[in-house]
Amino acid sequence: MPRSARLLMRALVSLAIAGAALFPILFGLATSLKPSAEIAAYPPTLLPAAPTLAHYREIFASGTLGYVWNSLFVSVATVVLCLGVGALAAYPLARFRFRGKSAIMVLIVVVMSVPVASLLIPTYTLVADVGLVNTHLGLILVYSAYQLPIVIWILAAYYQSLPEELEWSALIDGYSRLETLWKIVLPLARPGMIAATLFVVTFAWNDFVVAVTLLSSEEKRTLPIGIYNFLGFYGREWGPLLASAMVATLPILVLFVFLQRYFLAGMTGGSVKG
Amino acid sequence: MTTEVGAPIEFRGVSKHYGQTVALASLDLRIEAGEFVSLLGPSGSGKTTTLNILAGLLAPDAGTVTIGDCDVTHVGPDRRDIAMVFQSYALYPHMTIAENLAFPLRARRRRQPADAIATKVRAVADTLGIGHLLERYPREVSGGQQQRVALGRAMVRDPKVFLLDEPLSNLDARLRLRMRHDLKALHQRLRSTAVYVTHDQGEAMSLSDRIAIYRSGVLQQFASPIEIDRRPVNSFVANFMGEREMNMVTGEIAEDAGRAVFRGGALTIALDPAGPWTRLLGRKVTLGIRPEGVRVGEAGESATVDARVRLIEHAGAEQIFFAEAGAAEFCGRVATDVAVRAGDTLRLTLPRRELYLFDTDSGATLVHAGEPAGSP
Repeated sequence: MPRSARLLMRALVSLAIAGAALFPILFGLATSLKPSAEIAAYPPTLLPAAPTLAHYREIFASGTLGYVWNSLFVSVATVVLCLGVGALAAYPLARFRFRGKSAIMVLIVVVMSVPVASLLIPTYTLVADVGLVNTHLGLILVYSAYQLPIVIWILAAYYQSLPEELEWSALIDGYSRLETLWKIVLPLARPGMIAATLFVVTFAWNDFVVAVTLLSSEEKRTLPIGIYNFLGFYGREWGPLLASAMVATLPILVLFVFLQRYFLAGMTGGSVKG
Repeated sequence: MTTEVGAPIEFRGVSKHYGQTVALASLDLRIEAGEFVSLLGPSGSGKTTTLNILAGLLAPDAGTVTIGDCDVTHVGPDRRDIAMVFQSYALYPHMTIAENLAFPLRARRRRQPADAIATKVRAVADTLGIGHLLERYPREVSGGQQQRVALGRAMVRDPKVFLLDEPLSNLDARLRLRMRHDLKALHQRLRSTAVYVTHDQGEAMSLSDRIAIYRSGVLQQFASPIEIDRRPVNSFVANFMGEREMNMVTGEIAEDAGRAVFRGGALTIALDPAGPWTRLLGRKVTLGIRPEGVRVGEAGESATVDARVRLIEHAGAEQIFFAEAGAAEFCGRVATDVAVRAGDTLRLTLPRRELYLFDTDSGATLVHAGEPAGSP
């Protein structure tokens, strides 16, 4: 096959795959811009005949903005906690030789592979015992507990890929281990930190199950629960539902578009010597 | 920078093991204040282990390390008042050259006012000729310049002890020679104690006051370059020093018509009757002579051997020849104006003061430069 034909084929296949993946999102976007009557019309239209922001106005009027703030707060706090603890925890695993180190590494992987749903009831009991049910702090702590293993794993692998002489040099220059971590290792580990951030943000921002279990009062709810509210008992409010889904998708989409190369670097970090 | 002389260093019974492997076996070494000492040996011989233990990057299994009057065996690297230049330079990639140079002065234990730091950084950068690069990042300057930044970062603190881990090995040959010269000049001015790890014997020879030669974790000899060249303690040291390997022929000392000869395979070399050979009669020995010691066509009292030229290499101002005599091969040098071709037979002269004899089993030197060693 000539080169141009091969390129064309490749483009077509890529487009087909991208189309299949993007269609539900784009159809959702189109639908969120249709008036309610058009959403229910049969046969369905692909593009809105008369685009309207009515559903967006409606969800913000009904308090969705509060959910967005809650989600934002919980996500940011989880990221800060996970990276703060993870950055410290990963360092000795990456650099020190001590008894039981490989046992700890294995344990971290094992914990990573336990599905969140299976931990839900025990964690709920635990959080209830310390009186943190229906608080954002409780949610942040549980999210951090779920996400710390992968953060530690990513960061430890990334630290190991950095040349150790830099740290030795800083030690000899008169800096303590902690100062070295802060001034040399962390600035250089930024791609690893960004990759870990993306993992945590994606989880905390998207989580529904844990939040719906731990939070009961209306004003504490995060965005995914807010979206779920539009799936009413007697019917589905498709317009507001899709509009809030779009609002929820947008930040993650933007983050990934800008930071995707770090995301890939984090997943393969340490696996190949670069 | 400073007129103060550096601190003395002492290792006492220092050893380090990795599992079954001996990285360093009970090292005793005393380096005087202001001395330039090279640790020389093949890779894995313990020289870098010694340096890392001295820097505090590795903890020894046994023994003590003293810098100045302080036992630093259990002191962390940040409190030893040493500076180190790494083979990879270890420049901080996220800092400019100025920030790299200032980094040691910004450490909490040494914190200085900002303008004092700036003055010092400027002075060091100008000394090393990198003053125009201060605002650049390490990746934006050449290898030789990175090398100077690494040196500057070590100098800026006026350390008592300077550690250098193969600092020139990533430079090309020309630059390496120039930096070697600059390093020597720098040390003469700073008078800090310098410990220099290298596997390049030429570097060690030209830079050092004394050289410590290692093999498989064991210190073989610690002496001045001339001493090591003329009086190596064993065949390993003799062979490791010098630009090219020493010519070695195994055999024994025998008596032939009342005269001592060295006999190795089909090769028989008549030895200078004045030599200290008679007490070595019948012993299994290895005869050694450096390529520089082999003469061509010189007569006199010295031992001679006829050898057939196998190969000629041109090396600038001279030719290197490899010539066979029986099973033995001799490498030597002749001037370029001497016509030599492969297949020619040369009469090689082995002057007495160039001959070494080693015990074949232990490698210990029996005779060096024609003189008997202390205790055979």
